[in-house]
Amino acid sequence: MDPRSIGAMSRRTFLIGASTVTLVASLRARADASEIRLAAAPAKASLLGSNRPQTGVWAYNGEIPGPALRLRQGEPARIVVENRLAEETTVHWHGVRVPNAMDGVPGLTQPPIKPGESFAYEFTPPDAGTFWYHSHADSLVQLGRGLSGAIIVKEREPVAVDRDLLWLVSDWRLTEDGEIAAGFGGMMDAGMSGRVGNVVTVNGAVAMEAPVRAGERIRLRLVNAALARIMALRFDGHSPVVVSLDGQPCEPHAPEGGRVLLGPAMRADLVLDMHGDPGRRYDVIDDFYDGLSYRLARFAYGEKPSSRDHASDAPLVLPRNPLPEPDLATAERHDLALQGGMMGGGALAGMGGMKGGMNGMMGGMMGGMGMMGGARNAAVWAINGQSMTGDGAAEMKPSLTFGRGRSVVLTLRNQTAWWHPMHLHGHSFRVLTRNGAATPHRQWRDTVLMAPKDVVEIAFVADNPGDWMLHCHVMDHQMTGLMTVLRVS
Amino acid sequence: MTRTIRLVSLFALLSFSGPTLAAPIHAVLYKNPQCSCCEAYAAYMRENGFDIEIKPTNDLARISQKAGVPEQLEGCHTMFVDGYVVDGLVPADVVKKLLTERPAIAGVTLPGMPIGAPGMPGAKSAPLTIFAVAKDGAPPTVYATE
Repeated sequence: MDPRSIGAMSRRTFLIGASTVTLVASLRARADASEIRLAAAPAKASLLGSNRPQTGVWAYNGEIPGPALRLRQGEPARIVVENRLAEETTVHWHGVRVPNAMDGVPGLTQPPIKPGESFAYEFTPPDAGTFWYHSHADSLVQLGRGLSGAIIVKEREPVAVDRDLLWLVSDWRLTEDGEIAAGFGGMMDAGMSGRVGNVVTVNGAVAMEAPVRAGERIRLRLVNAALARIMALRFDGHSPVVVSLDGQPCEPHAPEGGRVLLGPAMRADLVLDMHGDPGRRYDVIDDFYDGLSYRLARFAYGEKPSSRDHASDAPLVLPRNPLPEPDLATAERHDLALQGGMMGGGALAGMGGMKGGMNGMMGGMMGGMGMMGGARNAAVWAINGQSMTGDGAAEMKPSLTFGRGRSVVLTLRNQTAWWHPMHLHGHSFRVLTRNGAATPHRQWRDTVLMAPKDVVEIAFVADNPGDWMLHCHVMDHQMTGLMTVLRVS
Repeated sequence: MTRTIRLVSLFALLSFSGPTLAAPIHAVLYKNPQCSCCEAYAAYMRENGFDIEIKPTNDLARISQKAGVPEQLEGCHTMFVDGYVVDGLVPADVVKKLLTERPAIAGVTLPGMPIGAPGMPGAKSAPLTIFAVAKDGAPPTVYATE
């Protein structure tokens, strides 16, 4: 088990093992057994290795990434978040279908947690799978400085693999001396691909090596916790099988083109049969951006094979989660057009409801002087001509309202020249089609990655009452208007 | 086909033997890997006698910042030519003016991606304002309007 993991199980195990605790102490501990505490505070992290300068980060419990929270499907969790930052914060439990009041969107679902204050999040995860948590206040800065971690909700019955590995991938824009570069919210980042960094870490370390043994079967949980970096991962010498996407089991399949495509906020669970040669190393390469491929991590085979001479024959299908199946025949249908950005052809020109100054960066809006004011939280993007900017606010009015229990089909049209991972809060949705073709492998997601000009149909049952955000998870894009609110009444 | 090659060679010879520019001027252009206007700009610069080497990078903001370009005046890509930074879609004749006059500045920038600028579609709706980037971080001044 990951030594960083905390949660009900590890603490209970510790209690059973400790024979000298007094009755009072053990009673108190038992009452707290299911409570997890996360403190957000400034910290130092050795992202670049022990012989390089440390990086000033913001971290949960002083760890980068934050501790992996191990919860159990259908069992209540209580997570107390303490704010030791100098600014307000909240935590969003990304992909976990929580009650609206626990969703962690400042203004919209809760008052932000002020410095020095705490907030207790309580929910019962309905789905087993790989999820994650991150700040949803001053999101671009707080996530970019390190406030994220994984959530693993265990299946009721254990899955037949030899080992369960978690790789949380973070992307950092660092200066030469290892500090986080200033300039969050720059206008070029906002209007183009977001704040993609220059150092990528796996579980908080650059160029990570994972020791493996020949013959073992691994479940590898991948979490893209980057602000903006899209990844396409190739596993040199291995044949990963995708068994789950965004925490929702799918039909096991080889990734398209041999590469696992992960936009910001997206997860994939892979099963890997480790059939490499003992003593050898195998690279995991990210080659999403043309001409900029790099080695993300490496499998390092030990000299000794595992006790088995070949990997397990157990089936790879994970048990399904209790997701309501949308009724496509009776579903209500809506179109949402994603607009704006650089090379956007002036889609935002003349639109109403825009906050902040328009700043001359969109084609069609021109005049070089217009942009002197900078782009911080100015509208650069829009959904159906409306720009909601920032992290969340009480005055955000829903663009669509659904009766509770209604089946809904949304057609998302990316009319921009850029990629967008679109995330819906409070629900998982089925990805029905992409550019007119049926989506294979029974894909349920909470975040769908859209290439420029993509048209994607998603469907879900609006069964979770409240106001829910739908937004791009490239943080710069969210902050500058690629966001809307959907209400389930 | 032979004729086409001959014509192209003749054209190349003519354009390279002009009185002001004897050989193409080498420039290195750093660009976002997903931005296509920068490719169009590079093609335009090549037509205007520059030898452009394109380097895709996700670290553009830092490269531009280190070259002294104020954040609020960033262009969509950053080019280095003969000791100067040229940020954004600066017209070729302004770059040539810079290389001829050789002022004591870090370079020039055309903020954003104005319509009608080289590499962008459409016609200009307003003049392009190209700013001088100071070496000492002093406030930017207008270098040229086009």
